[in-house]
Amino acid sequence: MNDKPADVAARIADELAVCGVKLVASLPDNWLTSVIDAVDRDERFVHIPVNREESAIGLCAGAYMGAMGSAALMGASGFMTVIYAITKINYTYEIPLFLMLTLRGGVGDHHKHHASNSLYLRPVLDAIDLPYRIIEEPGDIASISRCYQHTRTFCRPMAVIFTRDLLRGHRP
Amino acid sequence: MKYLDCFRALARARTDQIVVTSAGNSSQAWWAATRDSEATFYLDASMSLSTMFASGLALARPELKIWSFMGDGAFCMNPGMLMVERRMNLPNLTHFLVSNRAYGATSNAGLPNVGDNDYAAIARAMGLERVFECRALQELERDLPALTAANVAGHTFMVLEVEPFSDAEQKLEQPPFDGPELKYRFGRHIEARTDCDVFGYRL
Repeated sequence: MNDKPADVAARIADELAVCGVKLVASLPDNWLTSVIDAVDRDERFVHIPVNREESAIGLCAGAYMGAMGSAALMGASGFMTVIYAITKINYTYEIPLFLMLTLRGGVGDHHKHHASNSLYLRPVLDAIDLPYRIIEEPGDIASISRCYQHTRTFCRPMAVIFTRDLLRGHRP
Repeated sequence: MKYLDCFRALARARTDQIVVTSAGNSSQAWWAATRDSEATFYLDASMSLSTMFASGLALARPELKIWSFMGDGAFCMNPGMLMVERRMNLPNLTHFLVSNRAYGATSNAGLPNVGDNDYAAIARAMGLERVFECRALQELERDLPALTAANVAGHTFMVLEVEPFSDAEQKLEQPPFDGPELKYRFGRHIEARTDCDVFGYRL
Protein backbone atom coordinates (compact mmCIF):
# COMPACT_ATOMS: atom_id res chain seq x y z
CA MET A 1 0.00 0.00 0.00
CA ASN A 2 1.31 3.47 -0.83
CA ASP A 3 0.36 6.81 0.68
CA LYS A 4 -2.04 8.17 -1.92
CA PRO A 5 -5.08 9.92 -0.44
CA ALA A 6 -7.36 6.98 -1.15
CA ASP A 7 -4.97 4.60 0.55
CA VAL A 8 -4.61 6.86 3.56
CA ALA A 9 -8.39 7.08 3.72
CA ALA A 10 -8.70 3.31 3.57
CA ARG A 11 -6.26 2.97 6.45
CA ILE A 12 -8.18 5.49 8.51
CA ALA A 13 -11.39 3.56 7.81
CA ASP A 14 -9.74 0.30 8.82
CA GLU A 15 -8.54 1.85 12.03
CA LEU A 16 -12.01 3.14 12.85
CA ALA A 17 -13.47 -0.29 12.24
CA VAL A 18 -10.91 -1.80 14.59
CA CYS A 19 -12.10 0.61 17.29
CA GLY A 20 -15.66 -0.58 16.91
CA VAL A 21 -16.88 2.61 15.30
CA LYS A 22 -20.16 2.05 13.47
CA LEU A 23 -21.65 5.53 13.09
CA VAL A 24 -19.64 8.21 11.31
CA ALA A 25 -21.30 11.63 11.18
CA SER A 26 -19.62 14.06 8.84
CA LEU A 27 -19.58 17.47 7.33
CA PRO A 28 -17.08 17.92 4.54
CA ASP A 29 -13.79 19.69 4.42
CA ASN A 30 -12.07 19.48 1.05
CA TRP A 31 -9.13 17.68 2.59
CA LEU A 32 -11.49 15.03 3.97
CA THR A 33 -13.10 14.08 0.69
CA SER A 34 -11.27 10.79 0.38
CA VAL A 35 -11.99 9.81 3.96
CA ILE A 36 -15.68 10.62 3.61
CA ASP A 37 -15.85 8.67 0.37
CA ALA A 38 -14.12 5.70 1.96
CA VAL A 39 -16.48 5.66 4.93
CA ASP A 40 -19.53 6.16 2.75
CA ARG A 41 -18.68 3.17 0.56
CA ASP A 42 -17.75 0.93 3.45
CA GLU A 43 -20.49 -1.34 4.76
CA ARG A 44 -18.83 -1.54 8.14
CA PHE A 45 -20.13 1.98 8.82
CA VAL A 46 -23.35 3.89 8.89
CA HIS A 47 -22.36 7.22 7.39
CA ILE A 48 -24.65 10.14 8.18
CA PRO A 49 -23.91 13.43 6.41
CA VAL A 50 -25.24 16.15 8.69
CA ASN A 51 -26.57 19.66 8.16
CA ARG A 52 -24.17 21.28 10.60
CA GLU A 53 -21.41 20.08 12.84
CA GLU A 54 -23.41 20.39 16.06
CA SER A 55 -25.79 17.77 14.74
CA ALA A 56 -22.87 15.35 14.56
CA ILE A 57 -22.13 15.97 18.23
CA GLY A 58 -25.73 15.18 19.16
CA LEU A 59 -25.84 12.05 17.02
CA CYS A 60 -22.62 10.66 18.45
CA ALA A 61 -23.71 11.36 22.03
CA GLY A 62 -26.98 9.53 21.50
CA ALA A 63 -25.24 6.63 19.79
CA TYR A 64 -22.97 6.30 22.80
CA MET A 65 -25.96 6.00 25.11
CA GLY A 66 -27.13 3.16 22.88
CA ALA A 67 -23.74 1.43 22.98
CA MET A 68 -22.84 2.20 19.38
CA GLY A 69 -19.32 3.36 18.60
CA SER A 70 -19.13 6.61 16.68
CA ALA A 71 -16.91 9.31 15.28
CA ALA A 72 -17.55 12.89 14.22
CA LEU A 73 -15.62 13.96 11.14
CA MET A 74 -15.32 17.65 10.28
CA GLY A 75 -12.99 20.42 9.30
CA ALA A 76 -11.31 22.82 11.65
CA SER A 77 -13.79 25.59 10.89
CA GLY A 78 -16.66 23.25 11.66
CA PHE A 79 -15.07 22.34 14.95
CA MET A 80 -14.93 25.99 15.89
CA THR A 81 -18.73 26.05 15.73
CA VAL A 82 -19.32 23.17 18.14
CA ILE A 83 -17.76 24.40 21.35
CA TYR A 84 -21.18 24.96 22.87
CA ALA A 85 -22.44 21.49 22.01
CA ILE A 86 -19.32 19.75 23.30
CA THR A 87 -19.04 21.65 26.52
CA LYS A 88 -22.74 21.35 27.26
CA ILE A 89 -23.43 17.76 26.26
CA ASN A 90 -20.15 15.92 26.52
CA TYR A 91 -18.78 17.76 29.51
CA THR A 92 -21.99 18.08 31.49
CA TYR A 93 -22.96 14.42 31.17
CA GLU A 94 -19.42 13.05 30.74
CA ILE A 95 -20.21 11.45 27.43
CA PRO A 96 -17.23 10.37 25.34
CA LEU A 97 -16.75 11.78 21.87
CA PHE A 98 -14.22 10.95 19.21
CA LEU A 99 -13.48 13.79 16.80
CA MET A 100 -11.52 13.72 13.56
CA LEU A 101 -10.52 17.20 12.39
CA THR A 102 -8.26 18.88 9.88
CA LEU A 103 -5.29 21.03 10.78
CA ARG A 104 -6.46 23.94 8.69
CA GLY A 105 -4.14 26.89 8.79
CA GLY A 106 -1.19 24.59 9.27
CA VAL A 107 1.93 24.46 7.13
CA GLY A 108 0.99 23.54 3.58
CA ASP A 109 -2.49 25.08 3.70
CA HIS A 110 -2.54 27.66 0.91
CA HIS A 111 -5.97 29.10 1.77
CA LYS A 112 -5.52 32.51 3.33
CA HIS A 113 -8.98 32.44 4.84
CA HIS A 114 -7.83 29.76 7.28
CA ALA A 115 -5.62 32.26 9.07
CA SER A 116 -8.11 32.17 11.94
CA ASN A 117 -7.66 28.41 12.33
CA SER A 118 -3.91 28.86 12.15
CA LEU A 119 -4.12 31.25 15.05
CA TYR A 120 -6.89 29.80 17.18
CA LEU A 121 -7.67 26.13 16.55
CA ARG A 122 -5.16 24.75 19.00
CA PRO A 123 -5.60 27.52 21.57
CA VAL A 124 -9.34 26.83 21.56
CA LEU A 125 -8.76 23.11 22.06
CA ASP A 126 -6.45 23.95 24.94
CA ALA A 127 -8.92 26.44 26.37
CA ILE A 128 -11.59 23.77 26.79
CA ASP A 129 -9.06 21.14 27.91
CA LEU A 130 -9.83 18.93 24.94
CA PRO A 131 -6.88 16.63 24.30
CA TYR A 132 -5.75 16.05 20.74
CA ARG A 133 -3.14 14.31 18.70
CA ILE A 134 -1.88 15.48 15.34
CA ILE A 135 -1.67 12.76 12.71
CA GLU A 136 1.00 13.75 10.21
CA GLU A 137 2.35 10.52 8.82
CA PRO A 138 0.67 7.34 7.62
CA GLY A 139 2.49 5.53 10.38
CA ASP A 140 0.61 7.65 12.92
CA ILE A 141 -2.79 6.39 11.80
CA ALA A 142 -2.54 3.43 14.11
CA SER A 143 -2.79 5.80 17.07
CA ILE A 144 -6.44 6.45 16.21
CA SER A 145 -7.45 3.36 18.17
CA ARG A 146 -5.59 4.50 21.25
CA CYS A 147 -7.11 7.96 21.09
CA TYR A 148 -10.58 6.49 20.62
CA GLN A 149 -10.09 4.23 23.62
CA HIS A 150 -8.92 7.23 25.62
CA THR A 151 -12.32 8.86 25.14
CA ARG A 152 -14.03 5.76 26.49
CA THR A 153 -11.72 5.37 29.45
CA PHE A 154 -11.99 8.96 30.63
CA CYS A 155 -15.52 9.74 29.41
CA ARG A 156 -14.35 12.84 27.60
CA PRO A 157 -13.91 14.05 24.04
CA MET A 158 -10.61 13.70 22.24
CA ALA A 159 -9.62 14.76 18.73
CA VAL A 160 -7.21 13.49 16.17
CA ILE A 161 -6.20 16.20 13.72
CA PHE A 162 -5.11 15.29 10.23
CA THR A 163 -2.58 17.42 8.35
CA ARG A 164 -2.80 18.30 4.70
CA ASP A 165 0.32 16.35 3.94
CA LEU A 166 -1.30 13.23 5.30
CA LEU A 167 -4.65 13.65 3.55
CA ARG A 168 -3.62 15.21 0.26
CA GLY A 169 0.05 14.49 -0.11
CA HIS A 170 3.02 16.71 0.50
CA ARG A 171 2.85 20.19 -0.98
CA PRO A 172 5.79 22.60 -1.14
CA MET B 1 -53.90 23.31 24.81
CA LYS B 2 -52.22 23.65 28.17
CA TYR B 3 -48.59 22.58 28.14
CA LEU B 4 -48.90 20.38 31.23
CA ASP B 5 -52.19 18.83 30.13
CA CYS B 6 -50.54 17.85 26.87
CA PHE B 7 -47.61 16.22 28.64
CA ARG B 8 -49.86 14.42 31.09
CA ALA B 9 -51.82 12.98 28.16
CA LEU B 10 -48.61 11.81 26.55
CA ALA B 11 -47.49 10.30 29.83
CA ARG B 12 -50.76 8.35 30.07
CA ALA B 13 -50.35 7.07 26.52
CA ARG B 14 -46.73 6.10 26.97
CA THR B 15 -46.05 2.40 27.22
CA ASP B 16 -42.38 1.54 27.02
CA GLN B 17 -40.96 4.50 25.10
CA ILE B 18 -37.59 5.95 25.97
CA VAL B 19 -37.78 9.75 26.21
CA VAL B 20 -35.28 12.51 25.49
CA THR B 21 -36.19 16.03 26.57
CA SER B 22 -34.66 19.33 25.59
CA ALA B 23 -33.49 22.61 27.02
CA GLY B 24 -36.53 24.70 27.81
CA ASN B 25 -39.74 23.78 29.53
CA SER B 26 -40.09 20.22 28.25
CA SER B 27 -37.81 18.80 30.93
CA GLN B 28 -39.79 20.51 33.68
CA ALA B 29 -43.10 19.41 32.21
CA TRP B 30 -42.06 15.80 31.65
CA TRP B 31 -40.58 15.60 35.13
CA ALA B 32 -43.79 17.01 36.58
CA ALA B 33 -45.89 14.54 34.59
CA THR B 34 -43.84 11.40 35.20
CA ARG B 35 -41.07 11.76 37.78
CA ASP B 36 -39.23 9.35 35.50
CA SER B 37 -35.67 8.95 36.72
CA GLU B 38 -34.45 6.12 34.48
CA ALA B 39 -36.08 5.90 31.07
CA THR B 40 -35.81 9.62 30.31
CA PHE B 41 -32.67 11.53 29.39
CA TYR B 42 -33.23 15.14 30.42
CA LEU B 43 -30.96 16.83 27.89
CA ASP B 44 -31.30 20.26 29.44
CA ALA B 45 -27.74 21.13 28.58
CA SER B 46 -28.42 21.45 24.90
CA MET B 47 -30.14 23.84 22.58
CA SER B 48 -31.53 22.25 19.41
CA LEU B 49 -29.82 18.89 19.68
CA SER B 50 -32.31 16.69 21.54
CA THR B 51 -33.60 15.00 18.40
CA MET B 52 -30.11 14.48 17.04
CA PHE B 53 -29.22 12.82 20.35
CA ALA B 54 -32.42 10.77 20.08
CA SER B 55 -31.62 9.86 16.48
CA GLY B 56 -28.24 8.49 17.47
CA LEU B 57 -29.88 6.48 20.21
CA ALA B 58 -32.65 5.25 17.92
CA LEU B 59 -30.11 4.20 15.32
CA ALA B 60 -28.10 2.33 17.91
CA ARG B 61 -31.07 0.60 19.51
CA PRO B 62 -33.70 -0.19 16.88
CA GLU B 63 -35.52 -2.43 19.34
CA LEU B 64 -36.43 0.62 21.46
CA LYS B 65 -39.00 3.28 20.66
CA ILE B 66 -37.74 6.78 21.26
CA TRP B 67 -39.75 9.92 21.93
CA SER B 68 -37.91 13.20 21.75
CA PHE B 69 -39.22 16.61 22.79
CA MET B 70 -37.95 19.89 21.45
CA GLY B 71 -39.29 23.40 21.86
CA ASP B 72 -39.84 25.61 18.87
CA GLY B 73 -37.18 27.97 20.18
CA ALA B 74 -34.62 25.19 19.86
CA PHE B 75 -36.10 24.09 16.56
CA CYS B 76 -35.64 27.52 15.05
CA MET B 77 -31.95 27.38 15.90
CA ASN B 78 -31.40 24.29 13.80
CA PRO B 79 -34.34 23.42 11.54
CA GLY B 80 -31.97 21.69 9.15
CA MET B 81 -31.96 18.80 11.63
CA LEU B 82 -35.05 17.62 9.82
CA MET B 83 -32.95 16.96 6.74
CA VAL B 84 -30.82 14.60 8.77
CA GLU B 85 -33.86 13.00 10.39
CA ARG B 86 -35.47 12.54 6.98
CA ARG B 87 -32.40 10.88 5.61
CA MET B 88 -32.15 8.56 8.60
CA ASN B 89 -35.93 8.02 8.61
CA LEU B 90 -35.86 5.87 11.71
CA PRO B 91 -39.20 4.16 12.33
CA ASN B 92 -38.56 4.01 16.07
CA LEU B 93 -38.18 7.79 16.48
CA THR B 94 -40.92 10.32 17.18
CA HIS B 95 -39.96 14.00 17.20
CA PHE B 96 -42.38 16.11 19.23
CA LEU B 97 -42.06 19.78 18.41
CA VAL B 98 -43.52 21.57 21.41
CA SER B 99 -44.63 24.86 19.96
CA ASN B 100 -45.31 27.43 22.64
CA ARG B 101 -44.37 30.25 20.28
CA ALA B 102 -41.84 31.61 22.76
CA TYR B 103 -38.46 30.98 24.30
CA GLY B 104 -40.01 29.26 27.29
CA ALA B 105 -36.82 28.75 29.26
CA THR B 106 -36.11 32.46 29.21
CA SER B 107 -39.39 33.67 30.65
CA ASN B 108 -41.26 33.36 27.36
CA ALA B 109 -39.07 35.81 25.50
CA GLY B 110 -40.20 36.54 21.97
CA LEU B 111 -39.48 34.15 19.13
CA PRO B 112 -38.78 35.58 15.65
CA ASN B 113 -41.52 35.44 13.04
CA VAL B 114 -43.70 33.64 15.54
CA GLY B 115 -47.02 34.30 13.87
CA ASP B 116 -46.05 32.88 10.52
CA ASN B 117 -43.90 29.89 11.42
CA ASP B 118 -45.60 26.78 10.03
CA TYR B 119 -43.57 23.92 11.45
CA ALA B 120 -45.58 21.14 9.86
CA ALA B 121 -45.17 22.77 6.46
CA ILE B 122 -41.44 23.06 7.02
CA ALA B 123 -41.32 19.36 7.83
CA ARG B 124 -43.33 18.39 4.78
CA ALA B 125 -41.16 20.60 2.60
CA MET B 126 -38.18 18.57 3.74
CA GLY B 127 -39.86 15.38 2.67
CA LEU B 128 -41.21 14.11 5.97
CA GLU B 129 -44.29 11.99 5.45
CA ARG B 130 -45.62 11.16 8.91
CA VAL B 131 -46.45 14.66 10.09
CA PHE B 132 -49.10 15.34 12.74
CA GLU B 133 -50.37 18.59 14.24
CA CYS B 134 -52.37 18.91 17.43
CA ARG B 135 -53.85 22.08 18.86
CA ALA B 136 -56.24 20.54 21.36
CA LEU B 137 -56.22 17.60 23.73
CA GLN B 138 -58.98 15.91 21.77
CA GLU B 139 -56.85 16.01 18.65
CA LEU B 140 -53.89 14.62 20.53
CA GLU B 141 -55.92 11.78 22.00
CA ARG B 142 -57.38 11.11 18.55
CA ASP B 143 -53.93 10.84 16.95
CA LEU B 144 -52.12 8.97 19.70
CA PRO B 145 -53.09 5.48 18.47
CA ALA B 146 -51.66 6.25 15.04
CA LEU B 147 -48.67 7.85 16.63
CA THR B 148 -47.84 4.82 18.73
CA ALA B 149 -48.77 2.22 16.14
CA ALA B 150 -46.22 -0.47 15.56
CA ASN B 151 -44.48 -1.18 12.27
CA VAL B 152 -44.81 2.28 10.82
CA ALA B 153 -42.55 3.17 7.96
CA GLY B 154 -40.25 6.05 8.68
CA HIS B 155 -40.01 8.45 11.53
CA THR B 156 -42.77 10.63 12.94
CA PHE B 157 -42.92 14.38 13.46
CA MET B 158 -45.67 15.81 15.62
CA VAL B 159 -46.28 19.48 16.28
CA LEU B 160 -47.91 20.14 19.65
CA GLU B 161 -49.32 23.66 19.81
CA VAL B 162 -49.39 24.55 23.49
CA GLU B 163 -49.78 27.62 25.64
CA PRO B 164 -46.59 29.01 27.15
CA PHE B 165 -45.90 28.23 30.77
CA SER B 166 -47.62 30.53 33.24
CA ASP B 167 -45.50 32.35 35.79
CA ALA B 168 -46.38 29.65 38.32
CA GLU B 169 -45.45 26.86 35.91
CA GLN B 170 -42.11 28.49 35.23
CA LYS B 171 -41.32 27.69 38.86
CA LEU B 172 -41.87 23.96 38.43
CA GLU B 173 -38.99 21.87 39.66
CA GLN B 174 -36.23 21.10 37.22
CA PRO B 175 -35.14 17.46 37.03
CA PRO B 176 -32.71 17.33 39.93
CA PHE B 177 -29.96 15.16 38.46
CA ASP B 178 -26.32 15.95 38.04
CA GLY B 179 -25.15 15.09 34.54
CA PRO B 180 -23.13 11.96 35.33
CA GLU B 181 -25.86 10.53 37.55
CA LEU B 182 -28.37 10.99 34.77
CA LYS B 183 -26.02 9.35 32.30
CA TYR B 184 -25.58 6.27 34.46
CA ARG B 185 -29.21 5.94 35.49
CA PHE B 186 -30.30 6.18 31.88
CA GLY B 187 -27.52 4.02 30.50
CA ARG B 188 -28.13 1.26 33.02
CA HIS B 189 -31.79 1.34 32.09
CA ILE B 190 -30.90 0.95 28.42
CA GLU B 191 -28.65 -1.97 29.29
CA ALA B 192 -31.40 -3.60 31.34
CA ARG B 193 -33.86 -3.24 28.48
CA THR B 194 -31.48 -4.61 25.84
CA ASP B 195 -28.45 -6.83 25.60
CA CYS B 196 -26.07 -3.93 25.06
CA ASP B 197 -23.12 -2.73 27.10
CA VAL B 198 -23.07 1.07 27.26
CA PHE B 199 -20.23 1.68 29.70
CA GLY B 200 -17.85 -1.17 29.03
CA TYR B 201 -18.87 -3.07 32.16
CA ARG B 202 -22.22 -4.19 33.44
CA LEU B 203 -23.34 -4.27 37.02
